[in-house]
Amino acid sequence: MNTTSSRRRRIAPYIAGIVGVVVVAFLVVLAVSSPPESTVSRSPLLGQPAPEVVSTTITDEAFDLSRRRGSWVVFNFFNSTCVPCRQEHPYLLSFYDNQSTSQTPAELYTIVNDDSDGAVEAYFSANGGEWSKVRDDSGAIAVAFGVAKVPETWIIDPNGVVQLRIIGALSENFLDERLAELQKNFEGTQ
Amino acid sequence: MKKTMKILKSWPVWMFMGVLVVALLAVGASKSEGPRTQEERIDSISRRIACPTCDGESVYVSQASASQAIRNEIARQVAQGQSSDNEIVGFIQDRFGGQVLLVPKATGLDALVWALPVAVFICSVAGLAVAFRRWKREQGKDPTDEDRAIVAALLGEDPTDEENI
Repeated sequence: MNTTSSRRRRIAPYIAGIVGVVVVAFLVVLAVSSPPESTVSRSPLLGQPAPEVVSTTITDEAFDLSRRRGSWVVFNFFNSTCVPCRQEHPYLLSFYDNQSTSQTPAELYTIVNDDSDGAVEAYFSANGGEWSKVRDDSGAIAVAFGVAKVPETWIIDPNGVVQLRIIGALSENFLDERLAELQKNFEGTQ
Repeated sequence: MKKTMKILKSWPVWMFMGVLVVALLAVGASKSEGPRTQEERIDSISRRIACPTCDGESVYVSQASASQAIRNEIARQVAQGQSSDNEIVGFIQDRFGGQVLLVPKATGLDALVWALPVAVFICSVAGLAVAFRRWKREQGKDPTDEDRAIVAALLGEDPTDEENI
């Protein structure tokens, strides 16, 4: 009996030490890990024709995705109160500027997710962004693309085929680089 | 011989009971609930889908915007009348992934969720049947001297006393 308890007493500090080391290592990993980067995600829509998207912009212009065939289209699902959406906004601005000088410019559209026209207008007035903002009042576009949380960014090729899904906030140049890769591959297949 | 005859005589009764249970289950499972309204279909489908942005809530009860959007999509597809309930659930599953299914599928690995409880139930019943038979067989044995000694010791009597045997 005494032998057992004395053995336990000897082992206990080692176990406590190991647990302590694991906890400290876990805290260190949490502290030094970089924030989540943009993630290219899977979707059954990849390689498939994009879902039908017919709506209006917040300036009441008609929008029909099928009429954008021949152009690269980028959808950015957005909500003005979403923090990651605000964090990626500078990168979208630079992406939009870069496209104006590109030989094969992509058209960028914000898909308004669960937000009012007024709030979106106010946000873009204050932070810039001249591209069109498409309404999705019933959430049909979000459901068609399987978007549950914003931000998400999708790239659709000139044939209307979904090529890429990016979940979470964009990091610097991430969208430009992915689009350039896709355009290069696309030209190779044409 | 007598015992065997008794078992043989009781067989038809058990067979009849088994057939009756299977028939009733089959009727119950295949019974049509009759035509449903669009609202009932929307509610029924919404109850089968989990809210993709919240834990433990169905799209039917969730107030999240993603759930509202899915409810709208279900309503739209039900109103079109071109898809069955399973097809609509399949569409939502395609878009948001298998984790939005509140009722697991009956195929693939998911089928274990349905099959395991049945297998455990059958094994338990079989185990109980074997145990009951063994207990019954052991019950018929005459007590040994050791058994008598234990009982006598508990009752405070002399096990060799003839009156106690």
